Amino acid sequence: MIPTDPEARDALAGEYVLGTLEAREAAEVARALPRDPALAEAVARWEARLAPLTAIAAGEAPPPDLWGRIEAALDPPAPRRARPAWRWLGDPWRIGALGAGTVAAGLAALLLLRPAPAPQLMTVLLTDRDAPAWLVQADAQAIRLASLNTRAPPPDRVLELWALPQGATAPTSLGLIPADGRITVRPATIRPQPGMLIEITLEPPGGSPIGRPTGPIQFIGRLAPAVGG
Amino acid sequence: MLNRMPAPRDTEALLAAVARGDRAALRAVYEREAARLFGIANAILRDRDAAGDAVQDGFVRIARRAGQFDPSRGPAGAWLAAIIRHAALDIARARGREMPSDDPGLGDQAVAPEALERLAGAEESRRLHDCLATLEEKNRQGILLAFVHGLSHAQVAARLDQPLGTVKAWIRRGLLRLRECLA
Repeated sequence: MIPTDPEARDALAGEYVLGTLEAREAAEVARALPRDPALAEAVARWEARLAPLTAIAAGEAPPPDLWGRIEAALDPPAPRRARPAWRWLGDPWRIGALGAGTVAAGLAALLLLRPAPAPQLMTVLLTDRDAPAWLVQADAQAIRLASLNTRAPPPDRVLELWALPQGATAPTSLGLIPADGRITVRPATIRPQPGMLIEITLEPPGGSPIGRPTGPIQFIGRLAPAVGG
Repeated sequence: MLNRMPAPRDTEALLAAVARGDRAALRAVYEREAARLFGIANAILRDRDAAGDAVQDGFVRIARRAGQFDPSRGPAGAWLAAIIRHAALDIARARGREMPSDDPGLGDQAVAPEALERLAGAEESRRLHDCLATLEEKNRQGILLAFVHGLSHAQVAARLDQPLGTVKAWIRRGLLRLRECLA
């Protein structure tokens, strides 16, 4: 029962934010929030008051597969046929959920690209003994990585793939490299171009916590147009 | 147009894109915030598997509720942290918060003093830090054990070796005291 007395309501909101309410009470507050704007306001004020306490918990890299699990939880059950090409653009049938501007930009990109497909870009990343380790293939939109000589990272470390466009000052993460060494990404914020650096670094589980490489560069190469591509 | 490099977007702008269904923006939020949010969930659950579940549930909520984020009510980072905390608390409650009061994951103190000192840094958190310092030790411990480590009233009572009713009253009094102090 949500109380009517203002003091009791505000104390209840505070305890909800603090987290001390039992399951039944907490569920009751959570259900009341959408239809009780005053209670929602009180909860928001308590969230703001106590938010600095979240800084007490030390940051910690999440398990490497967590993003994949989030995506799986967001998507309806995946069809049999994998659609890696659409992974970064979302499901084509849900394109209506995207902004009209995004759709228009996507169509413009298709129209521009179709008559003259961009040349395929490639590079091979070498080991420290100059043995080929990774094949990177890219076109105007996607970057594909395949392992040629899989070497598992040390325990408690993961391999993270990065791209550094020419002229950019900081690389952009393309994600963690799964154990099978194959990954296809369609980065939203960068576009593969000749001269773009591709690098792989060793990072803590879950990947770099700061969005920039923190570990040593293990492999590096520069995209170049493939002859006849 | 094809080669344009978008300017780095802050989390608020990313959330606006998430609200439009932009999965890459959600991933960018994840990349920026996952370590901090996972740390918050793990402080509550002290179990990496459960903390991963909390962050997963939290990100599903973030994806669905991004349109409700209102920058005038506070920074995006606090909004994200609140969602993850509540997801973690839901898991803790579903498990019956079966945490022994001497959980070694908690250490000897509610919160290590040096961690508390982190609050003394930024302007807003310094005010909270100073207000917490005016509380009696047990009130402060109870509030920190609950907020940071997800302890229920009963668990705080067991840990501080005090009757449940007393602890409930302390915590409530402590909260109201903080509210006055921060006003």
